[in-house]
Amino acid sequence: MATERTAQVTWSGDLMSGNGTIERVGSGALGELPVSWPARAESQQAGKTSPEELIAAAHAACFSMALSHALAQAGTPPERLASSATVTFVPGTGITKSVLEVEGTVPGMDGDAFREAAETAKANCPVSKALSGNVELELRASLTG
Amino acid sequence: MPRVEREANVVWEGSSARGRGALTAASSGAFGGLPYSEPTRIGAPEGETSPEELLAAAHGACFAMSLAAELTRARTPPERLEVRATVVLDEVEGHGHRIVESQLAVRARASGSDEAAFAAAVAAADGGCLFSNLIKASAAVTIDARLEAS
Repeated sequence: MATERTAQVTWSGDLMSGNGTIERVGSGALGELPVSWPARAESQQAGKTSPEELIAAAHAACFSMALSHALAQAGTPPERLASSATVTFVPGTGITKSVLEVEGTVPGMDGDAFREAAETAKANCPVSKALSGNVELELRASLTG
Repeated sequence: MPRVEREANVVWEGSSARGRGALTAASSGAFGGLPYSEPTRIGAPEGETSPEELLAAAHGACFAMSLAAELTRARTPPERLEVRATVVLDEVEGHGHRIVESQLAVRARASGSDEAAFAAAVAAADGGCLFSNLIKASAAVTIDARLEAS
């Protein structure tokens, strides 16, 4: 069965000096979150999220869940995965790259097997599949402890 | 043009079916420690966000900026845009779970714009929205856009 998730955004004014708000999301977990072009395209974020940061959050979340699934199926569920996604946006060109990094605490698993599981999760998580073809995906995976 | 990087972090504990994650907007700090899990991603959200909901927020925000830019280019900057984005995750035979669609419902007030100019701005905004272009390789993007009286 299909799962739908919604978000509602408002915007007032032109791109450069106008302002937007992610008013609410279906789950109620987020909002209101302000957005603006200067906060998106320049280093002055002033606490504002952006489409690229939300894509990074979606990708890191999706990847971590897929990796935990792969590790559990291999008989070695993780104690802990600390992941990040960094999305690169080049104004005028597009969203060019998403770099995934993960440090895992996985009893009973060696580094090679962990990296292999992480590669599989990178390739197969639904957000990776939605982005792939247009965006370079990179992965750095290591075990701790 | 400068490169812009935006980062988000996740800490996940446990197996996928019973484990839980916590999500943080690392670059802006706009949100932190948001819980998510597999059951609430696929079933009822029960107050928890999900990767698809975050993509819906990204697409809505991206399209709103793109349409604001196009309407401004046509010398009719918007007084107000409302964008509702819905991202659909479905199980596709032989491919597991895939993001199959993102639907945009847009209501706009832009003094001086008319139906034809507005339709042209919407089409240009779809072409110019980075996120629309990103996911079109794998998912359908549909847009229902209406110009309302100012």
